[in-house]
Amino acid sequence: MPANNAIMTKNEGAATRPRLPLRRSLGSLVRPSEAGLKASHFRRPWLAAGLLAPQLLILLFFFFIPTWKALSLAFVQVDPFGGTMIFVGLDNFTTLFSSPEYRDSAILTLWFTVVQCIATLVIAGLLAFATDNVLRGRAIYKGVILLPYAIAPAISGVLWAFLFNPTVGPLAQMLHELGFAWDPNRRPFDALLLVSVAAVWKHVCYDYIFLVAAFLAVPASVMEAAAIDGARPVRRFLTVTLPMAAPTIFFLIVMNFVYGLFETFGIIDTVTRGGPAGSTNTLVYKVYQDGFRQLDLGSSAAQSVILMAIAVLFTFLQFRAVERKVNYQV
Amino acid sequence: MASTYVKSITGLLAAGALLMGATAATAADRVKIEWWYAISGKLGDTVQQLISDFNKSQDKYEVVGTFKGNYEETMAAMVAAYRVNQQPAILQSAERGFMTMLNSGAIIPVDQLMAKQGYKTDWNDFIKPVAGFYIVNGKPAALPFNSSTPILWYNADAFKAAGFDAPSDTWQGLEKQLYALKEKKITDCSMALPGDFQWSLIENYSAINNYPFATKANGYAGLDTEFVYNKTGVVGQVARLKKWVDDGVLKIAGQGVAPISLFTSGTCATIINSTASHSGVEADAKFKWSAAVMPHEEGADVRNGTIGGASLWAVKGKSEEVQAGVAAFFNFVAQPATQEWWSKATGYVPVTNAAYQKMKAEGYFKDHPTREIALEQLSRGEPTDNSRGFRFGNHNQSTAILIEEIQAVWTGKKTPQEALDSSVKRGNEILRQYEKLHAGK
Repeated sequence: MPANNAIMTKNEGAATRPRLPLRRSLGSLVRPSEAGLKASHFRRPWLAAGLLAPQLLILLFFFFIPTWKALSLAFVQVDPFGGTMIFVGLDNFTTLFSSPEYRDSAILTLWFTVVQCIATLVIAGLLAFATDNVLRGRAIYKGVILLPYAIAPAISGVLWAFLFNPTVGPLAQMLHELGFAWDPNRRPFDALLLVSVAAVWKHVCYDYIFLVAAFLAVPASVMEAAAIDGARPVRRFLTVTLPMAAPTIFFLIVMNFVYGLFETFGIIDTVTRGGPAGSTNTLVYKVYQDGFRQLDLGSSAAQSVILMAIAVLFTFLQFRAVERKVNYQV
Repeated sequence: MASTYVKSITGLLAAGALLMGATAATAADRVKIEWWYAISGKLGDTVQQLISDFNKSQDKYEVVGTFKGNYEETMAAMVAAYRVNQQPAILQSAERGFMTMLNSGAIIPVDQLMAKQGYKTDWNDFIKPVAGFYIVNGKPAALPFNSSTPILWYNADAFKAAGFDAPSDTWQGLEKQLYALKEKKITDCSMALPGDFQWSLIENYSAINNYPFATKANGYAGLDTEFVYNKTGVVGQVARLKKWVDDGVLKIAGQGVAPISLFTSGTCATIINSTASHSGVEADAKFKWSAAVMPHEEGADVRNGTIGGASLWAVKGKSEEVQAGVAAFFNFVAQPATQEWWSKATGYVPVTNAAYQKMKAEGYFKDHPTREIALEQLSRGEPTDNSRGFRFGNHNQSTAILIEEIQAVWTGKKTPQEALDSSVKRGNEILRQYEKLHAGK
């Protein structure tokens, strides 16, 4: 591909321009001014559009059209088959905000997401810290930790549900023998604990990969300096490694929140189905329950609009924080 | 276990190969009829057998059956497909979705379809409980297909060991027996809670004891019906179940385990489950089992239970030749011989008198007495407004709410009265929403 078809900086552009003598005269008449353009830009708009098209199409089909659908359904009550539709204004939203079930679900989601986020980070951090100190079989150690990530959420969910099933599950029997009255069918906390543990177990590997990389990226010179100053491994980890990995940790906090909020659907569906009595019914699972199982499309659409607002808020927070650069330059 | 899978897979492959060989010449010319169904396991195998029998019986149409998940999932798939004009030609929909489908505007009433395609079907031959539910203004809107009712399954060995011949016919008597089973440590658990307990232990309980579940004859007399089950014996029933759960008499299977497997494995001595469990229980239970009609309250005015299961709906928006194929398939399904075969293979009740009488004449029920229990339970007493059945719009939604509220009783968060009050209140909101959307239908 010739250079003038690719992304070019202003300098390169200037260098290639004389090679197009035929277009110069005509081009100078129609070509818009380049003043004020960023240093790196496309000369030909159709190329830029062509390169952007796949991404834009994906956005169109997986974001804009669904968003439009959700918005158009959030303000109506509708027969599931689409036969009748009544505009109800903000009714779907006011009903949600005044419903104790929705409030409970929101509080539960917050609790679940925060606990899941912290637990995942701490466990992944410990494992990553330990990685540095494992001398033999490091590959096996890493492989074992990464395994859960390769298991589909639905499958791991079914396994968790079975292992801890109070009537037939072997691990539940063990808990019973140890004297715990374990029963996720009747004790909301047990159900929530089970879902949280399953969610953390599934996501630890994700955080682990990033943390191992971040810890490895800490310059040896700094670590050696700290060691010469007499800092022991734990102290070096807390005062040198952790602060230097802060950007990664911040990124992981955001990713864990997104995971907890939106991606634990498969685990909840297989482990508890949101029960008992809605005690593990997170906001995302509720959208599915109300929309796809109970066919209350209006309410479900209103809920997804609220979730979308939360997602937008998170993206905004993330960008602002990234702009401010949680970073320590060496 | 693994070997049965292998066997059934090779069996399927062989059947498929035979079928392909037999129809290879005409497969391309056949009109494809898509059917989405919602029953799985052994029942699903029987559905595929039914389809293959139909396809072999003629060479114009080819029914293609797809399992779309349970009843709610199949309904959701149908709704999603209908909105983008990708719907199947035939949908199997549960009795709970009857009103929703009836008023959906997405169906062709089955009598119109059959008349238009030139079939003379006798709509007066359905057995009474089936007709009482599916016939609207003298005509069926859908073809009754798999009809069931919950019955009490029990481990006869366990009952004998505890000194009982059979389960008591009242809840009070059954309670004593279940507690005796536990105290004598005969089985780990006395009863398993079925996955669809709201259908058996709440709705059928209410009908059998002749309690009103909702006003307007449980929804038969109008969309302005309101739930009233928080003011009837249902409250006592939930309190009883809660006590059983707390005392370890009634076990909740929970996720990852099918409640019926707690019965067939011998863990639990009883379960109140659909008569359609027959094929599964017959195959899996390695002990002497039997079944009985569901118990009633002492001194109750005992009535019939209500019908469960599903019917087949002809879906709108298909070409004339597909409609003709749907009618041909429906006609095949409605034949007494098919009905009889289906009932025997599954445990669902025969839905027409013709099939029922035929099975009776053969002495089938003498050899298989538990197969007639569902019919007996469905025919007890003269049906009343309380026992005929339930016709609620968006019944899936109010059911989900009822289950959630009763779970709050299991967890101890709410008393039975609080939970049912809340369930009725939330359920009535669903009914009002449905009434608003379907005013004048």
